[in-house]
Amino acid sequence: MMLARVADSLYWIGRYVERAEHHSRLADVMLIATLDQNDTAVTVARRAASMEETGTLATPDTPFSAAHGLLLDRVHQASVIASLSRARENARQVRDQITSETWERLNLLYLRVTAAGAARTFEKAPAAFLHGVISDLHLFKGAVDATMSHGQGWRFLMLGVYLERAQLIARLLNVCFGESNGESPLDDPMTQMSVLRMACALEPYLRVYTAEIETRHLLEFLLFDEEFPRSIRFSTQRILNHLTWLAGPATTAERSRPQRLAARLSGRLEFADMEETLRPGALLSLVARECASIHEAIHETFVRYPLEQRLTA
Amino acid sequence: MGAASYRREMQGVYVPRNAYVNVSGADLIRGDDGQFFVLEDNLRVPSGVSYMLANRDAAKRTFPEIFRNAGVRPVERYPDLLLATLNSLAPEWRPDPQVVVLTPGIYNSAYFEHACLARLMGVPLVEGRDLVVHNNMVHMRSTGGLRQVDVIYRRVDDDFIDPLTFRRESGLGAAGLFNAYRAGNVVIANAPGTGVADDKAVYAYVPTIIRYYLGEDPLIPNVKTFLCREPAQLDHVLANLNQLVVKAVGESGGYGMLIGPHATAAERNVFADRLRADPANYIAQPTIRLSTAPCLVDGQIEPRHVDLRPFVLCGQDIAVAPGALTRVALRRGSLVVNSSQGGGSKDTWVLAQGQTSA
Repeated sequence: MMLARVADSLYWIGRYVERAEHHSRLADVMLIATLDQNDTAVTVARRAASMEETGTLATPDTPFSAAHGLLLDRVHQASVIASLSRARENARQVRDQITSETWERLNLLYLRVTAAGAARTFEKAPAAFLHGVISDLHLFKGAVDATMSHGQGWRFLMLGVYLERAQLIARLLNVCFGESNGESPLDDPMTQMSVLRMACALEPYLRVYTAEIETRHLLEFLLFDEEFPRSIRFSTQRILNHLTWLAGPATTAERSRPQRLAARLSGRLEFADMEETLRPGALLSLVARECASIHEAIHETFVRYPLEQRLTA
Repeated sequence: MGAASYRREMQGVYVPRNAYVNVSGADLIRGDDGQFFVLEDNLRVPSGVSYMLANRDAAKRTFPEIFRNAGVRPVERYPDLLLATLNSLAPEWRPDPQVVVLTPGIYNSAYFEHACLARLMGVPLVEGRDLVVHNNMVHMRSTGGLRQVDVIYRRVDDDFIDPLTFRRESGLGAAGLFNAYRAGNVVIANAPGTGVADDKAVYAYVPTIIRYYLGEDPLIPNVKTFLCREPAQLDHVLANLNQLVVKAVGESGGYGMLIGPHATAAERNVFADRLRADPANYIAQPTIRLSTAPCLVDGQIEPRHVDLRPFVLCGQDIAVAPGALTRVALRRGSLVVNSSQGGGSKDTWVLAQGQTSA
């Protein structure tokens, strides 16, 4: 038995933590791209970071202040500090449901970014600071995996992680290769390398495709790779696994709705035409749309279900 | 009847096992001559038991060598006893009752304790918004649908548990909860309205109540109490304000009180005016020098004033936890031990041989 509110909080912890990690990485790659005088990569990171549904980040003057804002500006909905604050707020609500190891990792990280001297530490050594935040987030996920029972609570948390990840990667690819932005798609290898870094995918990509970076391969890897944990296909597969488990063996039509939506998206990616890597815009919009419907369906099925459906007498 | 915590809605309500107070935590003090007194009753929603558990945990880690040979009785079974007490209150037709802890949420100062007890009992920690009342049955919203709730260990005050019966604007409770309770479909522990016994004017009559109903003398006496509602006693209090402690009858947590010997003349005058304006709202007691216990303050051992809150559980059986919360006034010379006023706490040992020490 798990309270609906608790499941919801765990799910949001997963989402916010993933968002914080992705945005820290965008800030990190953006700062490195500045050193390489790669303006395209800087623009990509900025666009990928301004989440439309959570309000647009104002465009500050320099990439440095953009990274600063993306990390530490509480007013920005999408900033790392805002995501971590919300993740911790949710974790406090369900403190009795997560292990102390998990809580401590998140709390320490929260205290690190909200500390009085955080801004100065960042300004002095931004790369070290970002590296610290990202590896702390990896430790958090490790603690989740290694200390929490892999039951319902853990599954809701991981569901949040993978759903957020699929949406963030889809958004990043859409900024780079979608047709909507009106510019010609990226084909400069330096920028493509940066994009792979933003998805934490450079090293695994090189192992598969070697150092010849091509748009087609990059898209193939981030969209369809079966083994890379940040590809959209991999994430969707995990979402489907968790939802199948959560729906249970003897499920009803309305209880299995999120599962059916995830299976549909998963099938669409599994049987995609390789030609789609040439014009990925439509597929990327579909992923964004379907992820939003899965999110809605999870909420309606497990959290805010109408009471009439569930009352017996 | 005029007490703020009196609940007329409870008239004629059947309370399981006639046990209104399932968890109590009276405050005891030790006077100069070693005699224990009851200083206050806490029968509504006594708190602090998690400090007892957390202090013990810390003490065991810090002083393992002292612990090993002292014969300290363990307090770790408290969650277990509490759960058994709550289970014993459930309706008989619910053999495997669902117990929950009801909390006002993370912004409450005792949220740590609510979460701690829920975790240690292994029961859900619910907020009012998790509960749904339908056909006078209480349910909680789980991911798999609605689950019936049988016993609610509530850590929310009476006023807030049901907006339909008590305060309308409260978002902390569940609409219809009180009717479900009245119908006998759910148990609320402690029962609503038990706050009337925390009233400091009622306190003065407790020894008389014990003699009348039980035909016994109280084992632990009260502190001498002057009721300001009696004109003669009010005159005495006004004449001796510099020696007395004055308390508002409906307050707790160290609010609304005057410690005569420590107050300035101006503060005493303010209170004298208040007493004359509304004498029934106040009682007064002689200033008792609380006993002291050695405390480590800034690297030195110094005496600090303490009081003692043992926890008593009452369901099918009555159980006294073999430990207690010792509250400490951390400022030198201060008599105010309330945690909301900067008080601290200590681990408290009950020894197996039958001797006690703090």
